[in-house]
Amino acid sequence: MPPAPLRISHGAARCFVVNSLMDERANGDERRDGEDASGSAPSPGPSPVLRGIRDALVLPAWIVGFSLLGVGSLAQDVGFPFLAAVLSTLLMWAAPAQVILFGGIAGGTALPLVAVAVSLSSIRLLPMTVSMMPMLRRPGQSLLTQLFVAHYVAVTVWVESNRRMPTMPPQERFGYYLGFANACLMVATTMTGIGFLLSAAVPPFLAAGLLFLTPLFFTIALIAGARTLLDQSALVLGAALAPLFTLLVGPDFDLLATGLVGGTLAWLIGRGRR
Amino acid sequence: MTTWEITIAPLWPYLVLILVGFLPSEIWRALGVVVSRGLDERSEIIVWVRAVATTLLAAVVMKLLLTPTGALAAAPLIARFGAVLVGIGVYFLARRSVIAGVIAGELILISITYFAFA
Repeated sequence: MPPAPLRISHGAARCFVVNSLMDERANGDERRDGEDASGSAPSPGPSPVLRGIRDALVLPAWIVGFSLLGVGSLAQDVGFPFLAAVLSTLLMWAAPAQVILFGGIAGGTALPLVAVAVSLSSIRLLPMTVSMMPMLRRPGQSLLTQLFVAHYVAVTVWVESNRRMPTMPPQERFGYYLGFANACLMVATTMTGIGFLLSAAVPPFLAAGLLFLTPLFFTIALIAGARTLLDQSALVLGAALAPLFTLLVGPDFDLLATGLVGGTLAWLIGRGRR
Repeated sequence: MTTWEITIAPLWPYLVLILVGFLPSEIWRALGVVVSRGLDERSEIIVWVRAVATTLLAAVVMKLLLTPTGALAAAPLIARFGAVLVGIGVYFLARRSVIAGVIAGELILISITYFAFA
């Protein structure tokens, strides 16, 4: 019988971490642990929060971190104050949008136009959030908590969570997600500040290399996460249709058009297979 | 400058950050929370939404490579695409190692850009 008490104490520790993070009622978690005992197998080892932090620090957090080092350096070039540059990562948490923001300010583009460009570049966050939330929602979660949870949605978090969370017991996902996402966000925010301070020391070819991390890592992470025909079709269609739709509907709505048309085609291809 | 302008000037970057940076991108996450209410993770609509998201991400990558902003614009087009292709190739050759692919792609881009500047 030795494993049983061990597992229960582990469950209690898990509740404690998640509760202290999210201020949720302990009763709910105990009930979920009860289901856990009778139903799906609990995973051994450290708590989901710690596993999330660990998985992030193995690689993804550093990749995002270094790409935001490039963003911090760009913010300094543009003349943004240090604190505002660091805050841009905490608040926006979307490297391409941050690059558009600072690039637009540097180019002297009218601010309302920059706002529109930032918004159009971030449309991806809508379908990403919609597909993440059902995995993270818990009974009794307030709207404010859900908005807070959704704020962490970003490409790295989305790709990795989609890869790992579906096979995870539902009661472990929330803690894992918060651990993973917070580790990424904290590393990235720190690196933004470091990039800002090092800006003068970063030669142009290295600055190019840092900003290149975003498309390079997105590409490889997406390929790594694409296990089904639907995913693979979506990647090929997205890459192929984007330039076509830039020509057809212009650089403002091309992403939206590509997503809707290509995504629907990929979904139909995936359905045909099933 | 009026007193009002002197007071507001140091806060200007923060206002820009909130109004031009934060709100225009955060609105999509907030909308996502509202839209996803009551949806089951295994429902067909979520499968479709995930397909749209994946397609959009591939499109974002394509746009970043074709029309980059900031320092990346200085890297030649051939370097940007060549480096991504090498990165993908090395990822598969190194038995699906993401880090190997990323390092290989970075080395290609940085060295070509270095010689393009030199």
